[in-house]
Parts: sequence; C-alpha cells; structure tokens
Amino acid sequence: MMTYLAAAAAEAGGPLAPFKVHGALLTAQVVNVIIVFLVLKKFAFGPIQQMLEQRRQRIAEGEEKLKRIEKQLAESEETTRAAIEKANEEAVRLIHEAKEGAHAFSEQKAQEAISQAQQILAKAEAVAQADRERLSSELKREFGRLVVATTAQVTGKILTPEDQKRINEDALSKVEA
Amino acid sequence: MRLSAIVPIVMLTGLAPAAQAAGEGHVMPLYAEPVWDGLPITNSMVMTWVATLLIIAFSWLATKRMTLVPAGLQNLAEWMVESLYTFLEGLIGHHMVKRTFWFLGSIFFLIITVNYLGLFPGVGTVGRVDDGHYIPFLRGGNADLNMTAAMALLFAVLWFYWAIAENGFKGFMAHIFAPKGSFKGLMMAMMVPVFLFVGVLEVISIMIRPVALTFRLYGNIYGGEQTLEKLMALAPAPFSFAPALPFMFVELLVGFVQALVFTLLCAIFIKLICDHGDEHH
Repeated sequence: MMTYLAAAAAEAGGPLAPFKVHGALLTAQVVNVIIVFLVLKKFAFGPIQQMLEQRRQRIAEGEEKLKRIEKQLAESEETTRAAIEKANEEAVRLIHEAKEGAHAFSEQKAQEAISQAQQILAKAEAVAQADRERLSSELKREFGRLVVATTAQVTGKILTPEDQKRINEDALSKVEA
Repeated sequence: MRLSAIVPIVMLTGLAPAAQAAGEGHVMPLYAEPVWDGLPITNSMVMTWVATLLIIAFSWLATKRMTLVPAGLQNLAEWMVESLYTFLEGLIGHHMVKRTFWFLGSIFFLIITVNYLGLFPGVGTVGRVDDGHYIPFLRGGNADLNMTAAMALLFAVLWFYWAIAENGFKGFMAHIFAPKGSFKGLMMAMMVPVFLFVGVLEVISIMIRPVALTFRLYGNIYGGEQTLEKLMALAPAPFSFAPALPFMFVELLVGFVQALVFTLLCAIFIKLICDHGDEHH
C-alpha cells in the first residue's frame, strides 16, 4: 500500500518522480515477480526440497530402524543371558543330582556288595557247619562202631543193640567231655 | 520509439565509450527504461527473466536425474538449498520455514543471481541509441525501484497472510495492540492506552518495512553500479575496466550481502509476528 502510495506520489511529480515508480511498471513487476516465484517454486525448489525431504525421511527411518535393532539386540542379549543363566542353573542342578545319584548308587552298590558278602559268608559258615556236623556225626558213628568192635573183640561176646547203644553213648560222652 | 527504429546497436566494453557513441556525457539513469515501446517491459525486467531462466536451467540440470546419493550439480544444488533452509530454520523454526521457504529461497537466489548478472560485461553496455538517447538492453535488476518495490510489496502481502493464518485475525490484532505481561486492576487500565499507542507505532513500523526493504536494496545496487560506471569512465576505452576491477570484488560481496539482508529481514519480520514457540507445532 505504501509502495503504491509512493508510486502515485511519484506519478504526481513528488520526490520519487526521478525513480519513475510507475503504476503500470510496478504492477508489471509484481506480476513478473509472482510468476518468477511460482516458476522457481515448481522447477527449482520443488524437486530439490522433495529429494531433501525424501532423504530426511530415509535417514529418520534408518535411525528408527537402528533404534529398533538396538532394542532387539538388547532384548536378545537379555534373553540369551537369561537362557545361559538358566542353563547354568540347570547344569549345576543336574551335576548336583548326578553327584547325589552317584553317591546313592555307590552306597547302594556297596550295601549290596556287603550284603552279598555277608550272605556268601553266612552260606560258607552254614556249609562249614554242616560239613563239621556231618563229619562229627560220621566220626561219632565210626568211633562208636570202632568202640563196639573193640569191646566185642576184647570181651569176646556178642553185644546186644542195647549194649552197643550204651557203650557208644558212654564213649561219646567221655570223648566230648 | 519502436523496436524497428533501433539505431545502431552499441556493443562496447564500457559504458563511457557507449555514451560517447551516443554523443553525450552519460549518467546512468535512476530508473529502468522500457525496451519495447508501448509495453511495460523494462530492461531490468528482462534481466530478471534472464536470471530466472538461468536458475531454472541450473535446477533442471541438477534435478533431471536425481538420486538418493547426490553427485555433481545435484550435490551443489542440494547444498545451496539445504544450507539456506537450515539457516532459516534456525531463525524462524521448522514449521514456518516449511511454509515460507518457497518465498524466502526464491527471494535470496533471485536477488543474488540478478546482482551477479549485473556485473557481467554487456549489462548496461549493450543497447540501442534512439534519438540520441542510449538505452541498454539489460540493466541490473535490482537497480530498478519498481523491481525492489514489487518484491517488498509481495512480501508485505504474504506477511499479512501468514500473520493472520498463524495467529487468527483476533490474535494478530492482539499481537499488535494488546498489553504484554500480566497487569491487573488500575495498572491494567493505565497500560491499555500505552500499548494502544505502541500498537499505532507498530502499525507505522509495519507500513515502513516494505519501503525500507525497497530502498535499501535499490540504493545499494544502484550505488554500486553507478560507482563502477564512474570508475570505468576514468580510463580510456581499452583500459576502462582497470579502475573498476577492485570494486568488482566489493560488488560481489555486496551482491551476496544484500541478498542475505533482504532475505534475513523478511525472515525476521515473519518470526516477529508468527513466533509462538515452534516446539508446539
């Protein structure tokens, strides 16, 4: 408005008259500048700004992706760390259980061995006892037969079964004593 | 004067010889001149078109085979656009830069390209002589008050649009006239007229802004071109470039600084009215 007032003043021969600020020229320049600006907006700044914006978006997307990847990496590291920790705990538990199992097994096997040894020993003792008893009874029987035979030869008489039994018992009681 | 009535085309290395060819002591006029009779097309306007075509050609070459991994011209174009975008983003915030960059970027690149094109040989020195009056085909685009005023005017309109779109009409008016701070009771009653007066001053300041933008850019560029022209006139034709040569480097700096100043001021004016904490968007 001020400029147009100045143009009017210049046309009327005011102090701006030497500059020839003329209404028609000024309007033509305004139209000219508007066209120039619109053309520059479309052909000069439009494509460049679009490209800059596109690049800015890509950079922003890249940064966003980077943040997401960093977050995922941190989560993954945390998951891995937790898994390793869990695996370690599990391994320690298994080792402990294995140790306990091995100890129990070894104990059991030792007990079994002891038990078997005792059984073997008992069996051996029983067999020995039976052998001793068998030998003893055989010995007694042989001893009795010898005593009876000897007595019959010394005395020269035929011994009755009651005599034989009495002599045997008497001889055995003396031997055992 | 009609185009068909073009007298000899002057194609010389300096404007002083051109002026001599035209048979007069030449002074660069304060205004741009129409290159065709009857049409409001001035030599500065043609310069703006040339600059626009160059920017579009560069953009087309840079963006015709765009790849996500930039190389060559695409890399350069992206670096220029992204640097300005990031710089302005730091100033007016992500939300507003997204909304206004098409304008601020266009302003910056158009002004700097037009300024630098004005330093090329042939600008202001190739033209026609009509009725003893020399008219160059090309003139520094920003050495025309109509051009700088057109840009400032367009900014003023867009500034109002963005201000109202961001704040709402009520918020926009409150931003200018409402008391800032938390006053109560008598203090509030006392502060209302103060802030109304401050609001009036603010309105005047807002109306002055496009005028200041217009004359700052025009003054710097016209002054630079006038300086170069006068310096070139100090030496005879084959050596007329010599006195002006050191100042060409200064003009390279001025061309960049003025483009940056215009863009920065536009951005700051936008920030002043639209700033309400970018983090909320």
